[in-house]
Amino acid sequence: MGSNPEFGNGACAGYEAHLEDFLDGALSGAEASKVSEHLKTCVGCRTALDEVRESARLLRAAEPAADPGLGFARVVMARVRATESEQSRQRARFWQPFVSVGWRFAATATLAIGALLTYGAGRARLLQPSGAFGRPTVVRDVFSAEVTTAQVNTDELLMPRAEMNHGNN
Amino acid sequence: MAHVPKTMAASAQAMALPLGRRGRQEEDRELVRLSQNGTEAAFEELVRRHQQRVFALVGGILRRQEDVEDVAQQVFLKAYLGIKRFDQRAAFSTWLYKIAVNECWDYLRKRKVRPLTYEADLSEEQVSKLDGLATADRPPENAAVRTEARELIQQLLAPLPEQDQQLLLLKEVEGFSVQELAEILKLNVNTVKVRLFRARGRMMESYRRRKARSAKTSALQAAVERKA
Repeated sequence: MGSNPEFGNGACAGYEAHLEDFLDGALSGAEASKVSEHLKTCVGCRTALDEVRESARLLRAAEPAADPGLGFARVVMARVRATESEQSRQRARFWQPFVSVGWRFAATATLAIGALLTYGAGRARLLQPSGAFGRPTVVRDVFSAEVTTAQVNTDELLMPRAEMNHGNN
Repeated sequence: MAHVPKTMAASAQAMALPLGRRGRQEEDRELVRLSQNGTEAAFEELVRRHQQRVFALVGGILRRQEDVEDVAQQVFLKAYLGIKRFDQRAAFSTWLYKIAVNECWDYLRKRKVRPLTYEADLSEEQVSKLDGLATADRPPENAAVRTEARELIQQLLAPLPEQDQQLLLLKEVEGFSVQELAEILKLNVNTVKVRLFRARGRMMESYRRRKARSAKTSALQAAVERKA
């Protein structure tokens, strides 16, 4: 297997992943012995492995990131709540123009209907005969012959006769 | 706010109990289900469980401690807003770490900044400290020494490509596994191993080079002092 001059570590290209595992102690028994056998014969891989061994020791000396503590979760939850309330406000703001237009439309429509009803009622009152000229006016055609006789009741028929008789008496 | 079942509403003490990875994942699954039903306390518990790893991941990518908390908060906020869409096919941690990585890239792009790099040369004292760490049998126990070591190592890693730095920090310092790194960074497991191995080589090459430069500078300084 060829070495890997491109990256300067001198290890065989096909063995780099195995060497990383070897360094990490992550190889199973059979794999570990295969790599060990290879290391006995390959100077490039052996040198590369020796060089990088120190890197693991150096890196493991560094302090990992500290736990931010219990206060961090509280801060996150406060931010979550603030974001949620802001989102609900934004949703309300989004619909607000539509709601406002709706109310304006409803108010205008109500006013228009009211005006129409008022106008209609006024016009109807004008067309309807009022108390002074309440009954329909009978216009007689003076040139036409009277075809109908006014209906009279018994009292009206008898009254002139009674008056006449009274005069005679 | 609905109540989290007693087993789930574990306090920090309960969380410290040794739990198997599978057990933790099962608990995460239940907490996610509760969060999806609107239980805020369950999500708060998820934050507590994963905040340290998210800090480590964000810190490993940005390497600016002052920005880490802001970005980590943003990661959890995005997770909360998107949790109803999370189908639980992957582990919650994997899903969360992917959000964290994307958030870091977004942050770096918006700010148009490169992760913090130290360009300064290593002093003779720093080199001798690093030598001590490289040959020590076990990592230092003193937290102050470890914090100083982290700063020195970040200086050492500075000339390396971004991905080399991230892989080395996340794997060796923050303790992410190769499998996790492959999932988070959307890479093949073997690719991660090869890149890690090559990154180690580059790191040690940078170390040797800077060590040599430091020795040269010291020698020059000594010569100037002698002449003076």
